[in-house]
Amino acid sequence: MTMAQRKKTKKIVLTIIMLILALIYIYPVFLMVINSVKPFGEVIMDVIALPSKIEWSNYTYVMDKMKYGKLFLNNVIITVIGIVGIIIFSSMSAYIISRKKNKYTRFAQFMITTPMLIPFQTIMITLLKVMNVVNLSGSKVGLGIQYWGFGIPMAAFIYGNFMSTIPKELDESAFIDGAGTFRTYRSIIFPLLKSVTFTVIVIDVMWIWNDFLLPLLMVNSSNETKTLVLSAYTFVGQFNTQWHYAMAAMVLAVLPSIIIFIFLQKYIVEGVVAGAVKG
Amino acid sequence: MKRKKKEYLECAAFTVPSLFLVMLVFYIPFVMSLYYSLTEWNGISKSPKFIGLENFKKLFSGSSDFLQSLIFTGKYTIVFMILVNILALAIAVALVQKIPAANVMRSMFFIPYIMSMTIVGFIWKFIFSQGFAALFEKTHLGFLNLSWLGDSHLAFYAVAFVGIWQALGFYIVLYIAGLQAVPTDVLEAAEVDGATSWKKFFKVTLPLLGPSITTCVFMSLTNAVKVFDIILALTKGGPGGSTYSVTLDIYREAFQNNNYGLGSAKALVFFVIILVITQLVLKAMHSREVDL
Repeated sequence: MTMAQRKKTKKIVLTIIMLILALIYIYPVFLMVINSVKPFGEVIMDVIALPSKIEWSNYTYVMDKMKYGKLFLNNVIITVIGIVGIIIFSSMSAYIISRKKNKYTRFAQFMITTPMLIPFQTIMITLLKVMNVVNLSGSKVGLGIQYWGFGIPMAAFIYGNFMSTIPKELDESAFIDGAGTFRTYRSIIFPLLKSVTFTVIVIDVMWIWNDFLLPLLMVNSSNETKTLVLSAYTFVGQFNTQWHYAMAAMVLAVLPSIIIFIFLQKYIVEGVVAGAVKG
Repeated sequence: MKRKKKEYLECAAFTVPSLFLVMLVFYIPFVMSLYYSLTEWNGISKSPKFIGLENFKKLFSGSSDFLQSLIFTGKYTIVFMILVNILALAIAVALVQKIPAANVMRSMFFIPYIMSMTIVGFIWKFIFSQGFAALFEKTHLGFLNLSWLGDSHLAFYAVAFVGIWQALGFYIVLYIAGLQAVPTDVLEAAEVDGATSWKKFFKVTLPLLGPSITTCVFMSLTNAVKVFDIILALTKGGPGGSTYSVTLDIYREAFQNNNYGLGSAKALVFFVIILVITQLVLKAMHSREVDL
């Protein structure tokens, strides 16, 4: 065998091994999906077998029982409110902190980014009390606003790192043309931050959409405010012997993320990498 | 003078929303938990009772669940960090070999990461209880017939396994990005000098991967110590309390046992431990990095 041939065989073997590995890796997801469309009897009989017929009624039953449309909307509302606030406030503060160097901005920078070191679980007990006092618990908008606070430290940090690569001459010339600080931020700086904004959106959507503990503490008491994951959690708890319904509920909970991922995977992977490297 | 004042006002206007929000969700609760950790309070009675350092004494007396949960979390973190980094790096190295469909495979490994951890816990609960039994009937592989969630010793490995399964794709993606940034001319030079693939990897690629390794080790550490959702869905801390992580223990103490004071004390100790460990790891990692 020549060197080139040996290299080629090696590559083929590697490809086959990796492919088998990847297939085994997502086999549990596959099992969840096939069992979600089986009649109950078939789930009990044989978990691995493919369904003899597709039982869509599992889904209609679960969607009706969970009030899926409402939950989906709740998730969208909470996520959108959270993201918009995080982006506006963190980019604003990162802008001024990087442009005006004085005692005050140094203090602000320290205060805004330090909480990255505080794990959520160390403050959750008293957080609930504070949120009850300021009336932000028990509502979708309130939860969205809380995400502003939790998302700002990391977002401001990422924006701050990027701000230092934007030449100061840009805002100075805008300033000479008569634009005020806010105007400069809005029409010159913010558009230039597009790639970072994108990174922040990817990371924070994934986080807020799938978040569990904060919604559990804040909005779990009423069906009006529950999120998708919370409701799936309760549902699976109640239907833990009726696996066909539980599986359908689980598929419904993760389906939006998977669909979005399939269409935007290139950007999502880029965003996740950029966020981790900069963060 | 007037200009200076205007500048300060502007700085304040741009940062006050962020400062206010961060105060509201981090600093105020944090300071309050300092106080509550010194009290006995059930969350219902009007005023907490001040008891000094009693809560902290209780934490470190032998009978507390806290020490057990600390040990569990420590073990989990070590296993998670080591396996996640080794496996992710190995898979990343395989996937950057210009093999066909590498991107599709990368996505297959990444899918669990975009799913909610709670759902991931449930999927595996189903697999461990129903799926393994069915696979055992077909294959008769011994490990499929074990009670992975029912035995306190095995449950640890089940939890760690599921945690790794969920997160691995994230680290694979980070390592792939790191590997792609290793300059090819350096690798080619090594090849010309007659280095074997193994030598090339350990002597050239790995040292140049320093920043990626630092990022991944650090992130796997901070994510592992906070493990919560997966355990809640998979074992709820059982069997016999053997899989309580620190975060789950804090949650139970405060919101199930209604001991807000004791829960706050646990949270504070947890905070200090994490702060010390992350700083130490960060320092150790940075001092080892190699520049090109």
